[in-house]
Amino acid sequence: MDVLSSLMDGFATALTPMNLLYAVIGVILGSAVGVLPGLGPAMTIALLLPVTYVLEPTSAFIMFAGIYYGGMYGGSTTSILLNTPGESSSVVTAIEGNKMAKAGRAAQALATAAIGSFVAGTIGTALLAVFAPIVVEFAVSLGSPSYFAIMVLALVAVTAVLGSSRLRGFASLGLGLAIGLVGMDSVTGQRRLTFGQPLLADGLDIVVVAVAIFAVGEALWVAAHMRRTPLHVIPVGRPWMGKQDWKRSWKPWLRGTAFGFPFGALPAGGAEIPTFLSYVTEKRLSKHPEEFGKGAIEGVAGPEAANNAAAAGTMTPLLALGLPTNATAAVMLAAFVQFGIQPGPLLFANEGPLVWALIASLFIGNFLLLLINLPLAPMWAKILQLPRPYLYAGILFFATLGAYSVNLQAFDLVLLLVLGALGFMMRRFGLPVLPLILGVILGPRIEGQLRKSLQLSAGDPAGLLGEPIAIGIYVILALILMWPLLFKLFRRNRPAAAGPSSAAAAAPAAPSGSSAHADLPVLSDDSVRSDSAAHSRSSVKPDSSAHPDKKETP
Amino acid sequence: MTIVVGYVPTPEGEAALTQAIHEARKSNATLLVINSSKGDALVDNRYAQEPEIQSIEDRLATQGIEHVIKQPVRGHDAAAEVLDAAEENNAELIVIGLRRRTPVGKLIMGSVSQRILLEADCPVLAVKAG
Amino acid sequence: MSSSPTLTSRLKGRSELGVALLLGAAGVLVLVDAIALVTPYSQSDPVGPKTLPYIVSGLLLVCAVLLAINVLRGGQGEAEGGEDVDLSHPADWKTILPLVGAFVANILLIDWAGWVISGTVLFWGSAWALGSRHYVRDGLISVALAVLTFYGFYLGLGIPLPAGLLEGIL
Repeated sequence: MDVLSSLMDGFATALTPMNLLYAVIGVILGSAVGVLPGLGPAMTIALLLPVTYVLEPTSAFIMFAGIYYGGMYGGSTTSILLNTPGESSSVVTAIEGNKMAKAGRAAQALATAAIGSFVAGTIGTALLAVFAPIVVEFAVSLGSPSYFAIMVLALVAVTAVLGSSRLRGFASLGLGLAIGLVGMDSVTGQRRLTFGQPLLADGLDIVVVAVAIFAVGEALWVAAHMRRTPLHVIPVGRPWMGKQDWKRSWKPWLRGTAFGFPFGALPAGGAEIPTFLSYVTEKRLSKHPEEFGKGAIEGVAGPEAANNAAAAGTMTPLLALGLPTNATAAVMLAAFVQFGIQPGPLLFANEGPLVWALIASLFIGNFLLLLINLPLAPMWAKILQLPRPYLYAGILFFATLGAYSVNLQAFDLVLLLVLGALGFMMRRFGLPVLPLILGVILGPRIEGQLRKSLQLSAGDPAGLLGEPIAIGIYVILALILMWPLLFKLFRRNRPAAAGPSSAAAAAPAAPSGSSAHADLPVLSDDSVRSDSAAHSRSSVKPDSSAHPDKKETP
Repeated sequence: MTIVVGYVPTPEGEAALTQAIHEARKSNATLLVINSSKGDALVDNRYAQEPEIQSIEDRLATQGIEHVIKQPVRGHDAAAEVLDAAEENNAELIVIGLRRRTPVGKLIMGSVSQRILLEADCPVLAVKAG
Repeated sequence: MSSSPTLTSRLKGRSELGVALLLGAAGVLVLVDAIALVTPYSQSDPVGPKTLPYIVSGLLLVCAVLLAINVLRGGQGEAEGGEDVDLSHPADWKTILPLVGAFVANILLIDWAGWVISGTVLFWGSAWALGSRHYVRDGLISVALAVLTFYGFYLGLGIPLPAGLLEGIL
């Protein structure tokens, strides 16, 4: 089979000492980053973008993939030991995992998370290897109109489905598209939004934008709201599981994988929904339902598998179509562009060896993570002792360094600051970051496809609907946009504020906070850490000394 | 009259607290419980979390001890916080917990206890666990 | 729902209106810039360079208006949470401003005084802003980082960071 032989070649490349080294660096870095507060895989890859420019693309991507998967592991470690999950997709793991840890079963929780992640990651990557070429075959036959439609769908789906406020999602998207517009128009060569500044003529470098929004914005935001009172980390020995634990874990692993992969592969799927679904399913199917809420191992096994399978799933549209479905994938897409590699269905054809080496390396990375994390899990907890001033100062330091090294221009640093401030503002006012980044990255490409489509139809807008796929997609698109309106029509006694009937994109204007909260854990893109108020200790003690005096009269 | 006790959620800290309660009852003093953290890192296992504080509260309340519990997070080390508190409140006694250490451990010893012992203006009562 | 009468929520609402304002300004900016563009109609590019800017500015303006309406009706953007984020207090400007200051200092110094100096200022200043008071230790770490990255980037990546004032020495 052709896939198998390509995969074997991929392994041959990925197993060279050099690439193996990068894989190791990637997974260690990823795990560390997943554990540390304030950092995430997306930010780390963004920070590394300028540095990796000199590397072989294959090696760089192997490292990035390692960071991605590693971040998931690190995130589960903190969610179990610390009760404040690092990645929003680890929220569900924290529910049972932390309870298990408190009951002295941290080792088992970590073990089931690690092994489950390995199982799910391996199966997920295998599915990736099988499905991606199929999707590519299908996609290559698509013309510009359909491709345009798919991209618009991806963009809108992410904006409209994730996040608690569609309106803000679209606002964020608008800003992202505007940023993407800056620079020279590719067809007519005219300058757009450059305001006469020659330095802007080449557009805003995606690296600078990514670093600014992910790293600087996040660092500033966390600095403004640093948690004042320290948390407890539950000490743990080496992870291991007893026979009973194995018996109870293996089916949740498989079920979790089944949930995770499809959702990861869909635009706007994300990893939160499948982890939640997995949890609910495991609870329902469990022979020990009363344990849920007190530390049921199934509640860790399933969601963690779902998490990792979703990560593998995310790689599918990224590699096959050039469509990122979460923040980390978006940054990796930016990396492709930076290396001059054109993402899209032709990626497999043009850069076959690179892609297959990457996929092979995902298998290897998974394995390495299991190998490294089982014995080292107790050590990761020690990393949490790192003083935060150094951590956040370090982020700003490397962000500056990275952004500067792109063009050796101080102007880029000004951009970094301005966009960083934007990132801060967005986090303050609940504008999701993912649509912005997607807008910046996909905007120019969408424009390109639009122009090509209409060029083919010689200006006739009907050309956009020229292909049946395109029509089908627009129907889905319309459904997604109309969804809240239809929803309101069906439930007439819902106390919905009378929304502006015109725009289907209006936010569900819920004064008491978004109604989406009531049902599910906050659906947010993974660059956003979900508000873990439900699980973490709210900071009770203000930052100066006084715990309110509690005097007792004898 | 105030007695300051440096508390950490460890056996030594518990021993210190128990002794401090005893002392406070003897001299009818107010007990000032200090549990501080530098606040540098995200985690600090020596910083008591809410449930622990609550149980200390309850314990002191049921024993009828007048008390104040403070958890300063100001970037100062534990010794400084205890000494500061003692000075501010004119404490008559400081109670701290000590760990049994090996000879080598004593060399690299917890400077917290040492500093308090050496720099306090008032008597210091060092208690061991168990 | 009419906007809540209490002062705090009015102010809160106002600050988010700033976002709506920003969106509106951006929309206008894009629009104005787009109008100035020339569209040579050509068979090969019927869309032209103006179309997407018009769409984008439209999107931004619509969002600006809707957001303003949403905010005035009491809607609220939800601030992002996180492991190390404690939203119960307002933004800590005492930390942010010095942080931004360190950043700006770096921007001003980097070309003139060189990376080693500006990077040191950046890290040292940031660490101080974030609460670290171990002055000497921080200073040493800052210098070490700046120097290491200076050489590292040059030797390892071929990127020559500016040496600035220390031109002859490094």
